[in-house]
Amino acid sequence: MLELSHIEKYYNAGTVNEMCMFHDFSMKIAHGEFVSVVGSNGSGKTSLLNIICGSIPLDGGSISINGTDITHMPEYRRQRRIGRVYQNPAMGTCPNMTILENMSLADNKGKPFNLRWGTDKRRADFYRQQLSSLGLGLEDKMHVKVGVLSGGQRQAMALLMSTMPPIEFLILDEHTAALDPKTAEVIMELTGKVVREKQLTTVMVTHNLRYAVEYGSRLVMMHQGEAIMDRAGEEKEGTQVSDILDKFNEISIECGN
Amino acid sequence: MKKNVKMAMAVMAALALVGCSSQKPAETAAGAGGKGDKEGSYTIGIGQFAEHGSLDNCREGFLAGLAEEGIIEGENLTVLYDNAQTDGGTASQIMANFLANDVDMICGIATPIAQSAYSAAKDTDVPVIYTAVTDPVLAELADGDGMPVGEITGTSDKLPVEKQLEMIRKLLPEAAKIGILYSTSEVNSMSAIEEYKAAAPEYGFEIVESGVSSTADIPLATDNLLKKVDCLNNLTDNTVVSVLPMVLDKAGKENIPVFGSEIEQVKIGCLASMGLDYVSLGKKTGQMAAQVLKGEKKASEMKFEVVTEASFYGNTAVAEKLGVTFPEELASSAAGLFDEVVAD
Amino acid sequence: MSIVIGVLEEGLIYAILALGVYITYKILDFPDLSVDGTFPLGAAVTAMLILKEVHPAATLLLAFAAGALAGCVTGVIHVKLKVRDLLSGIIMMTALYSVNLRIAGKANLAIFTKETIFDNGFLDRVVPEGARPFTVTLILLAITLACKLILDLYLNTRSGYLLRAVGDNDVLVTSLAKDKGMVKVVGLAIANGFVALAGCVYCQQKGFFEISTGTGAIVIGLANVIIGTKVGARVFRKLPFIKATTLVILGSLVYRACVAVAIAMGMAASDLKLVTSALFLAILVASSLKGKKVPTYA
Repeated sequence: MLELSHIEKYYNAGTVNEMCMFHDFSMKIAHGEFVSVVGSNGSGKTSLLNIICGSIPLDGGSISINGTDITHMPEYRRQRRIGRVYQNPAMGTCPNMTILENMSLADNKGKPFNLRWGTDKRRADFYRQQLSSLGLGLEDKMHVKVGVLSGGQRQAMALLMSTMPPIEFLILDEHTAALDPKTAEVIMELTGKVVREKQLTTVMVTHNLRYAVEYGSRLVMMHQGEAIMDRAGEEKEGTQVSDILDKFNEISIECGN
Repeated sequence: MKKNVKMAMAVMAALALVGCSSQKPAETAAGAGGKGDKEGSYTIGIGQFAEHGSLDNCREGFLAGLAEEGIIEGENLTVLYDNAQTDGGTASQIMANFLANDVDMICGIATPIAQSAYSAAKDTDVPVIYTAVTDPVLAELADGDGMPVGEITGTSDKLPVEKQLEMIRKLLPEAAKIGILYSTSEVNSMSAIEEYKAAAPEYGFEIVESGVSSTADIPLATDNLLKKVDCLNNLTDNTVVSVLPMVLDKAGKENIPVFGSEIEQVKIGCLASMGLDYVSLGKKTGQMAAQVLKGEKKASEMKFEVVTEASFYGNTAVAEKLGVTFPEELASSAAGLFDEVVAD
Repeated sequence: MSIVIGVLEEGLIYAILALGVYITYKILDFPDLSVDGTFPLGAAVTAMLILKEVHPAATLLLAFAAGALAGCVTGVIHVKLKVRDLLSGIIMMTALYSVNLRIAGKANLAIFTKETIFDNGFLDRVVPEGARPFTVTLILLAITLACKLILDLYLNTRSGYLLRAVGDNDVLVTSLAKDKGMVKVVGLAIANGFVALAGCVYCQQKGFFEISTGTGAIVIGLANVIIGTKVGARVFRKLPFIKATTLVILGSLVYRACVAVAIAMGMAASDLKLVTSALFLAILVASSLKGKKVPTYA
C-alpha cells in the first residue's frame, strides 16, 4: 500500500511566481492496483510521479509504503522497489553500452556493484529469452550499442530493464507518448503483460484515454493539483472514454478555454 | 557544402595560428650541425627557463665567455637556443630535441631547466653546463663538497646576502625592519630568505617576509608589508620581479626605499644593490664550458663556481627623491650609477 | 634515434595521464580541471617519499592513493556541496598548488641521487649493457600497459559498468537504486589516481619535482584523449575491436611525436602552446563535422 497524506508542494515558493501545485493532497494506492492518471498539461500528473519517486522535495505531508514512512528517503533508495519508465526512450537505457551490458546493469539492480564481472555469461541465455519475449529481434543484437536502436526498441528495452529486477511498484510516465501509434500499441501490450505476470502495483500517467480505460483498474483525473475524478472497481468498469472526454470538456469550460 | 566551408575555415584558423608562431629563431634554424662536422667546431644547445632580463644577460655573457676562449658563434660555434617559458614539460622536450641534434654540450640557464638537462643527458656522453642555479647542492646537481654528481657543472648565482645587508645599513643607519616579498613557488627565493634571516641580526635588522603564490597577490601583499617595514629588499624572484615597477610605485608613494638584487632592478628604480653582474656570471660559465669543449677538463672534475665579488649599483635619481645620499666609499667603488629611472 | 626514444618516453608517461582524463572527460562526461593539480601532486608525493627512503615501487601505489583522495575531494565538492563541475575542478586545482608545496616543502625537490624505478641497483645487475638505452622505455611501456589493462578490466566489472552508465545516462543509475553522486566520486578518484600515478612516474624519470610541471597537464591530457578517440576511431574504424584505452595511448604518442616534430622543425618552444591549441581546434572542428556521435538524448 502506497499512501500519500496531506501533500503540500509549491513551485517558486516565496517569489511572486509562487504556484501551488498540491495543497492537502492525499491518496492511497492499494497493492496490485493499476492506476491510470489522466489530466491536462500542468495538472500535476508528472509532479505526482516525481513525489512518489522522490525526484522532487516536498513542502509538507508524508509518503509511506506499507506503513513505513519514506518521506525523507533519497530518490535512489526508493528505486530499490520502484521501476520507472520515462517518456523519453533514452532515459531508460545507456546509449553507449551494448544491449548485453544494459541487461546486465538491470539484472544487477539491488545487488552490490562491486568488482565482480559486470556481465555474468551464464545469464546471457536468460537475457536472450527475455529479449525475445519483446518480439523485436533484439536477442540477436546482444553486442550492439543501444544508441543505434530505434526509439521503440529502446523503450521496449527500458520497460524490460525496469521490470526485470524484483520490484513492487511500476511508475510509467507517459511512456508511449514519444512513439508512433503502432509501436505505442506494442509497448502498451507488453506493459499490460508484465504487470499481470508480476502483479505489480502500477501508476501510469498517459494522454491516451483509451489506454487509461483499457489497462487501468482505477482511473484518476487530475486538475489543478486535485483528483477531480477517482473511479475504481465497478464504477471504473462502467466508465467509457467518452465519459472522460466529457469531464475534460467540463473543466475546460470552467477554465474559460 | 556548408560543411566544407566550415572545414576550410577551421583549417585556415589553425594555419593562421601556426603561421604566427613559426618565425623560427635564426639560431634554431641552423638545425643539425652535429659532432665532428668540422675539426674544432662545436654545437651547443642553450635552454633558458624563462624570459627574464638577468637570464638573458647570463646567456649573453656565456657566449662572450666562449668567444674569449676562441669559440665564436657563427665561426666555429653553432648555437641552438630555446626558451621553456617556465614550463617543465617543454623543458624536457627542448632537451630531447638538443640531444636529437647531436649537440656537443647543453647549457641550462636557471635551476629547473638545468635539472631537465641533467636528467636528459645523464645516460649520454653530452656534458651539461649550468648557470643561474642558486643552490646546486640543494638541486642535487652537486654534492656537499661542491663536486658534480655527473658530467655537469656550472655557476651559481647565490646572492651576496651579507654584502647587501652591510650596504643597506650604510645607507639607512636608522632602519630596523626589512620587508621581503617572495613567491612560494620559487625554491631559490626560499633559500635566500633563510639566509637573510640568519644574517640579519648581525646587522641589527629584522626580516619581515611575505609569501605570494602569484602576481595577482602582490598588490595586497605589498600594501600590507609597506605598513610594517622601513625598507624593502627585492630578491631575484621571477614572479615578484615581473611586477617590480608596481611594487616600486607603491613604495615610492610611501617614501620607502626598495633595494634590488642586480643591475637591471636598479635601472628600473630600485635605490641600490650589491648585485651580481649576470653578464660576468655568464662569462665565467662560458670559460668553464670552453675548457670542457676543448677537452682540457671533464665537467665531472670541476666544482661549481660561485661569483663572490659583488659590486655596488645605485640610482641617484631615486636617491635624490628619497633624500638618501650614497656614502663616498660606496659611490666611488660603484660599478654603475644611474641618474634616471628607465621604464622596463 | 634519441628523438624516437624521447617521444616514446614522454608519450607513455602522458598516456597514463590521458587514461585518467579519458575516465573523466569521455566516460564521466565531467570536465575535471583538478588534473593540473593532481599531476604535480603525484610528483610531490613521490619526491617526498623517495627522500624518506620509501621503496620507489611503493611510491607508485601511494601516489595513486594520494591522487584518488584528491579526486574524492573534487567529487565531494561537486556532489555534496553542489558546486558546478568545472568550478569544483578549478577550486581543487588551486588548492592543490599550496598542498603540493606543503608536501614537497619547496617548489623544487631533486631526487637525482636516489634510487628510482628507472635507476636502481637491481636494474644495474639484471639489465645487459646493450639494452641500457631502452630500459626506461620498456619500464614505461610495462607500467602504461598495466594501467591500461587494469582500467579495461575495471570497466568490465559491475562497478565499472555503473561508472560508464553514470556518464552515459545518470537517470538510469538512480533507477538502478544507486547514488549517482557516489559513482561520480568513485570515478573522479580513479581518474585522478591515474593522473597522480603519471606524475609519480614523471618525477622518477626526470629525477626531480618541480611545481610548474602541472601547468597545462589537462590540455595535454585532453589533446591525447581527443586525438586518440576522434582520429584513432576514424583510422581504425575497420578494426572496432581496438579499445578506446588503446587509442588513448596511441593518441598520446602521436601528440608527442607532433610536438617533437614541431620543435625539430625549428618551432620555438615558447610557441608550442599556440600550436597545441591550433592542433586541438583543428581536430575538434574536423571531428564535429563528420563525427557520428551517438546522441545521448534522442
